[in-house]
Amino acid sequence: MSKVQAFYHKHRTILLLAVFAALCVLPFVVTKALFVRYACNILLFATLAGSLNAINGYSGQMCLGQAGFFAIGAYVCAIFSTRFGVNFWLLLPISGVFAAMVGLLVALPTLKLQGIYLSIVTLGASEIIRIIAQTWEPVTGGALGIKNIPYPWLFGLDTFRPKYYYFIFLLIGVLFLLVTNRVLKSRVGRAWISIREDQIAAKSLGVQTSFYKSLNFMYGAFWAGVVGCAYAPFVNYIEASQFSTDTGFNVLAMIVIGGQGTLLGPILGSMIVTVLTESLRFLDNWRYVIYAVIIIMMMWLRPQGIAGASHSVLAGGKIKRKPVRREGARSHG
Amino acid sequence: MKKFTALLLTVAMLLTLAVVPAMAESKGTIKLGGLAPLTGNYAEYGKGFQIAWQMAIDEINANGGANGYQLSIDVKDTQGDPVVSSTMATSFAEDDEIMAILGDFSSGACKANAPIVDRYGIVQLSPTASAPDYAGMSPYCFSIMGRQDKEAPFLATYVLKKYLGVSKVAVIRVDSDWGMAAFNNFKAQADIEGLEVIEEKYKSDETDFSSIITKVKATDPEVLVVMDQGLPVSAIFNAADSAGWDIQHLALGPGTSEQLLEQLINPDNLIVTSPFFFNPEDATLTAWKDEFNALAGFQPTVHPACAFDTAYLIKTAIEAIGDGEITREAIRDALQNIDMNGLTGHIQFEEAGDITRDYLICGVVDGNWKVLEGFDYSK
Amino acid sequence: MEYLLNQLVNGICQGSIYALMAIGYSVIVGVVGMVTFTYGEIMMIGAFGAFYSFQFFGNNLALAIVMAFASSFLLGIVVYKVCYERFFNAPRHIALLCTIGFSMLMKNLVQIVFGPEQKPMINIINNATYTLRLGSVAVDFKLLQIVVMLLVILFAVSLTLFFNRTRWGVALRAVSQNKQAAYMMGINVKRTAMLGNCIGCGFGGIAGILLSIYYYTVSSTIWGNFSMKAFSASVLGGLVDLRLSALGGLCMGIIENLGITISSATFRDVFSFAFLIVILVIRPQGFAAKKGSRV
Repeated sequence: MSKVQAFYHKHRTILLLAVFAALCVLPFVVTKALFVRYACNILLFATLAGSLNAINGYSGQMCLGQAGFFAIGAYVCAIFSTRFGVNFWLLLPISGVFAAMVGLLVALPTLKLQGIYLSIVTLGASEIIRIIAQTWEPVTGGALGIKNIPYPWLFGLDTFRPKYYYFIFLLIGVLFLLVTNRVLKSRVGRAWISIREDQIAAKSLGVQTSFYKSLNFMYGAFWAGVVGCAYAPFVNYIEASQFSTDTGFNVLAMIVIGGQGTLLGPILGSMIVTVLTESLRFLDNWRYVIYAVIIIMMMWLRPQGIAGASHSVLAGGKIKRKPVRREGARSHG
Repeated sequence: MKKFTALLLTVAMLLTLAVVPAMAESKGTIKLGGLAPLTGNYAEYGKGFQIAWQMAIDEINANGGANGYQLSIDVKDTQGDPVVSSTMATSFAEDDEIMAILGDFSSGACKANAPIVDRYGIVQLSPTASAPDYAGMSPYCFSIMGRQDKEAPFLATYVLKKYLGVSKVAVIRVDSDWGMAAFNNFKAQADIEGLEVIEEKYKSDETDFSSIITKVKATDPEVLVVMDQGLPVSAIFNAADSAGWDIQHLALGPGTSEQLLEQLINPDNLIVTSPFFFNPEDATLTAWKDEFNALAGFQPTVHPACAFDTAYLIKTAIEAIGDGEITREAIRDALQNIDMNGLTGHIQFEEAGDITRDYLICGVVDGNWKVLEGFDYSK
Repeated sequence: MEYLLNQLVNGICQGSIYALMAIGYSVIVGVVGMVTFTYGEIMMIGAFGAFYSFQFFGNNLALAIVMAFASSFLLGIVVYKVCYERFFNAPRHIALLCTIGFSMLMKNLVQIVFGPEQKPMINIINNATYTLRLGSVAVDFKLLQIVVMLLVILFAVSLTLFFNRTRWGVALRAVSQNKQAAYMMGINVKRTAMLGNCIGCGFGGIAGILLSIYYYTVSSTIWGNFSMKAFSASVLGGLVDLRLSALGGLCMGIIENLGITISSATFRDVFSFAFLIVILVIRPQGFAAKKGSRV
């Protein structure tokens, strides 16, 4: 494993550029439109899982309500583009900001809570958002939802075809990774990680935990909102039941399986879960049974997920306290 | 080895020669796409679609196909989710071999697919979408269920005012796309007729109706109307019965469902509106019903009967095209001008792409469905 | 006035089922020391166990309740082995995620085995209604509601007796207070924790069947919500105190039903969640006197 990591470090830039180039070419190489649509789903959920990972994996707060922030992003986009004709690209940051504000609202009561209390509050908040979406008819269309959300224009191309919409998701995904990488290496990121590992110790060292925890929630919510905004025109029709707790648990499953506490984890998780979902569609309920078994197995064998941060509290009670060399000491965020 | 290969090739060529004339007889297969909720809350209806479509296609193919063409259908599970439905619709639309799409079940899913079928130019013929604004969304959108802006007003005018002669009505309805359309159309007509309407709505996965019943009972209406399909209908009526509430029950939505009768504490107290009835005296209908029951394991409602008709509609459309090329657009045009008598009655599309149905008033006598008032009641 | 009283009766009846749920949940959290997300599914298994008991053995309510308790009890053993035993000393979130996975597993297995549709369950208890006259107001009590409330009182009382008078009960209380100390007293902590878990689950199963009888249907999809409600009701009791949790459940039932009175049934869950969030913000320990950092 460390040989792979060493190799990765040496040739980092070239490897990432090669992957990026391959991803750009993908929709033109793959012929079946359905598969391009699956690729879009993978990218979409990779970023959404990434946003959840920014909260769960880095500040250690276990948020279960990502579906709520996702919903806000989607509805903001839908409402403003269908009612007021606002440009999609402008709406991306706007949705993010809206979602971040709600994130702050959710964070405030949770600051003094931890563990299960916090998780339940996030879940409750997500459900309240969904129920409001379902009942606030004049704004959200209620049970009817909002339909005919216009497709955005990308460099002069109408993104109605999945293979053009793909690039919107790719763009957002790459942006997310670049920004998050930066943030994690900064003071803010280090503060988050310290809170995750041991909140009391962090506080005693002068880290303003409340401030950073709220910031963390807002950050995760912001990106979930952006993804939601991108999601709305893609499915062309949104309605409250698409943002239920099941969606939230789905995203959670992705980071549990793929890995928490690293940037690669959610991407891997999104790939695995989406591929399993689509290829095993014919199995109906057995599909979920398989997920559930995988989640439980993950908890038993590797709690931080496949590509998760092994040198952290996420890895469970099996942290090895042997002295680590400088090279591998940093958790690669 | 060379000799053996030569021998093998010769045999292969001879076999092909033998088969080719046989193939020239049939004109090939026309593929259809099917969208139905095979899992999820509407699984019962989705499975009904699948079975009815297969029954129709098997029957059509056995009788020489549609103008010589054999039909086949690829049914995909949409889980009752409009987003999944759109994904499947897109994949059908991008597959050039699929000539038309049958389905989906719910108005919500059909409406979500409307822009897709419109862009790609492929027919979406739904057996059961009843939202009045669905078919008008695209020239390629069709439905044969009848519209909620005909059935709901029928309930107000003919059932409540004329048949029962009541003036104060309580409506408990599901808060969904369908429920909203049904109620709004009902209320508009009820206002014209001068009926007083009390409304209570509930979310689609609700199970506890005792509080709603208590609330509605306190307003002292003359009849209780439920607008929904599936288990909540019986749950609400049972809750009313067990609260000791003696009142006439009416339902809009489930039609003459046998499953519903089994779930009710007091089935004889129920009246429904339905565009269709499996008349036990009609031999063809009874035979169809028994065949469906044998294949599915449950009794059919009007929904699979409509699905059956959609397959026959495509067959009739293909025949109307005659010797011309079978394209998606040709099917659409033929469908728009069609005039056919199906299992569920006479089908002729209006300009928007849906049909107007007449409705029956059906009730329960001794645990069996009976027609209380026929189609001419509303003429 | 009469209408409000009737809604109050509805609220008390539903509240008493919630109270039973909350008691079961508190037993688990108190004794095992870990929260669970899979409580709804445990209730579901109880409901299905009783449903099949009705199918095979007829309308015998007592037998059905025993079956409900037994099925959930057995499932509790499985949950304990899979989600709790291994993670006693690990960070809390791991066991939690495990229970989430387990709940997904149970929900879908049940849908596969029993089918996704809801099954009706009628005519278990005679649909009689009794009217109580207090002066000029008449309040209706369904026989069903009376049976439910009596059962809940019966179980709550028997549980209290169990905890205070029997050896097992005392052992359970010891484990819930301090595992190390209990261990040093010679109590088999693992076995006791498992027993506590199973008893809590068993009560959940009974709550499950009572709910199903009350709603006239057995379903596999509605239970996720009840996990949340059980948790909320428990929180009101400070998570570990049984009597206060029961009170919390009762409050929740009443608030929900009264909430529906003033608004619409579509807001039922909003009331529960909003109530929970408000409580957590204002007074995280609920009705309990002192703050205990349980989790």
